[in-house]
Amino acid sequence: MKRLAAVIAAVLAVTAPGTPAWAHAQLMFADPAKDLTLTVAPAAVTLGFNERLRPDFTTIVVSDPARQRVAASPAVVDDKRVTLTLTGTWSNGTYTVAYRVVSVDGHTVQGSYPFTLADPNLPPAVPAPPSAAAAPASGGEDGGSNGPLIGVGAGTVLLAALGAGLYLSGRRRSSPQAGN
Amino acid sequence: MRLTFLSGSRRRTVASVVLAGLLTAGSLAGCGGEEKTAAGGGTTPSQAPSAAASVLTIKDPWVKAAPAGEMTAAFGTLVNATAADITVTGVESPASPMELHEMAMQDGKMVMQEKKGGFVIKAGGSHELAPGGDHLMLMKPAAEIKAGDEVTFTLKLADGTTVPFAAIAKPFAGAEESYAPGHGSPSGMPMGSMAP
Amino acid sequence: MTLKPPSVSRRGLLTGGAAAGLGQVAAAAPATAATAADDTGTATVAFHGPRQAGVAQDPPAHAAFAAFTLAPGADRAALGRMMRLLTDDAARLTQGVPALGDTDATLAVLPARLTVTFGFGPGLYRAARLPSPVADLPKFSIDRLQSRWSGGDLLLQICADDPLTVAHTQRMMIKDARPFAAVRWVQQGFRRSPGVQSPEHTQRNVMGQLDGTANPRGGEIDPAVWNPDGSSTLVVRRVRAEMETWDKLSVTDKELAVGRRMESGAPLSGTLEHDRPDFAVLDETGLPKIPDFSHVTRARVEDPRLKILRRPYNYDGVPDASGVPDCGLIFAAYQRDIVEQFVPIQKRLAEKDLLNEWITPIGSAVFAVPPGCAEDGWIGEQVLA
Repeated sequence: MKRLAAVIAAVLAVTAPGTPAWAHAQLMFADPAKDLTLTVAPAAVTLGFNERLRPDFTTIVVSDPARQRVAASPAVVDDKRVTLTLTGTWSNGTYTVAYRVVSVDGHTVQGSYPFTLADPNLPPAVPAPPSAAAAPASGGEDGGSNGPLIGVGAGTVLLAALGAGLYLSGRRRSSPQAGN
Repeated sequence: MRLTFLSGSRRRTVASVVLAGLLTAGSLAGCGGEEKTAAGGGTTPSQAPSAAASVLTIKDPWVKAAPAGEMTAAFGTLVNATAADITVTGVESPASPMELHEMAMQDGKMVMQEKKGGFVIKAGGSHELAPGGDHLMLMKPAAEIKAGDEVTFTLKLADGTTVPFAAIAKPFAGAEESYAPGHGSPSGMPMGSMAP
Repeated sequence: MTLKPPSVSRRGLLTGGAAAGLGQVAAAAPATAATAADDTGTATVAFHGPRQAGVAQDPPAHAAFAAFTLAPGADRAALGRMMRLLTDDAARLTQGVPALGDTDATLAVLPARLTVTFGFGPGLYRAARLPSPVADLPKFSIDRLQSRWSGGDLLLQICADDPLTVAHTQRMMIKDARPFAAVRWVQQGFRRSPGVQSPEHTQRNVMGQLDGTANPRGGEIDPAVWNPDGSSTLVVRRVRAEMETWDKLSVTDKELAVGRRMESGAPLSGTLEHDRPDFAVLDETGLPKIPDFSHVTRARVEDPRLKILRRPYNYDGVPDASGVPDCGLIFAAYQRDIVEQFVPIQKRLAEKDLLNEWITPIGSAVFAVPPGCAEDGWIGEQVLA
């Protein structure tokens, strides 16, 4: 089932309109996965890409429901994967994983996705501030869906959806600000 | 041979060397450094005796670098700021025996020859010494005149006064005169190589 | 032929203001354009002084960097003679006066803000048996240095607002250097022509980036550039722009690599070119707005005394048959001390600067910039006399 999903997603990715002809880094794998609700705080976040990562050009951060950065050890890059071991304290609510990596061809690829912590042993969640980065965004003139994320992470994983719902913003860019 | 370094201000205005006839080559060597202060005004050097019989200046003097024993020449512009004609009758240098030379038409050809009677600089006028024209000839330099050397000269005027000056040596190649003895009629003298 | 006394003594620098009588033209021009002042050809920059010219002044539009290799046996005495000659040439030509024995004196009369700046490489001090105040840069991993663009015992930086003036000056001075030194390399570069933009504009390089935004300005220049004795140092790097791959980037990609907006030059953390970059500002997802690998992050120097004065020129050679350009930057940087100021920046850039993907250093040279000289002096007299 998971394998099938991956294949479908990959096919969709390469046939999707607007997909650049050259290869950019794409997020293939995330643990915890997008939109997942966890009952136990994760010890780490691991992201997997379709090409080798360059440690100096790889950034991964996790922000808490108050949009404060969750303390973590320096990210460790292992070939196509990057792992961020989280050392901070947790509260229930929606967290944001954001990454910025550089493709082999020099293109910057950045994106983000949410997951939720609902630990029964912690106090209930406070509402997240508005405009937290939850929605997949496709900023920039060359935006578009081009990063299939296959959630195959923790044992509690469930695939949220197939098809378009599977896609995360693989190449989310900061948008140029008006007036510049 | 001690080459006196004289100026950095030859470039400017009129005189890199403005000296009255009473000054001698010896006094030049002694006060070369102060000479620059005379350069700005163009007429009266601050330390020049006012009793000068004649005032001749040479602007932008330079000499063509040359190996020992090989003829070469010094150039510049003689400027007469006085109300009377001045005649340069001769020139001396510790670097070489000297002659005043001119380029003159002879039988339809330009030839280099000694200037009989010297260079006459009209009152208030100037006289150009340049490659391809009149020049101060170094007949046989005792030592190599290297690029960047300063060579001292003394002009002798008809009234008996002298005008010392120093010229920097340039690695000049142009206006292809031949200074070799016996070559009074250089082939292909490009007289027009310096546009007027 | 009579060499006229210098008819040009104006020392005014080019300003962007419309000249009298050209008001209508200026009014019709775009707001960022400036009208060429009518003294573009005759304007001069003083040559003599405690510091050499051609460093702190706004860079004129054209430059030739000529590096020399000293002839074998060129000793301290010979170097003194050489510098007397070359100083004399520069002192005259910069003021619109032909060099002594100038074979094309008519070309000397429009100096167009001509400056000639002298640099002494480590080899010159070796030849003079003197300790060198500068040493070759350490090797950087990004370097692909070619000997045809590297090193040099003597440097002439010739700058003017007119390329013919630069060409004539270069020719006259190379002729006078001939007995002492061979030409090692010449790099010719350009900036915007006079009057195209007002001088306070930061100019763009061939990659479209505003180049020099972070330069020290005004009172910041002195403590960053000059030693108490009037000396400085110069690094000249030839940096090839990899335009074919740079072209493949979107504007956003370019901005993330540079850390600034391409159009305004504003740091990604701000809105205006001269906004101070704030590396702590995060975007809505928690990422730093200015990537930690961006050029501006890696090149940033906060201590004004440690800044370098960039005085870069573009180069644009002949494209190859398939149209691939040969262009880039002649990166000239002045600072008090290369080891203290330049090397740490270049180290940071070499370690991590995404812009390295599209730029390749192919030449490198270092020079001490001796103090200026008085009218009766010559450049280098403090060490060579």
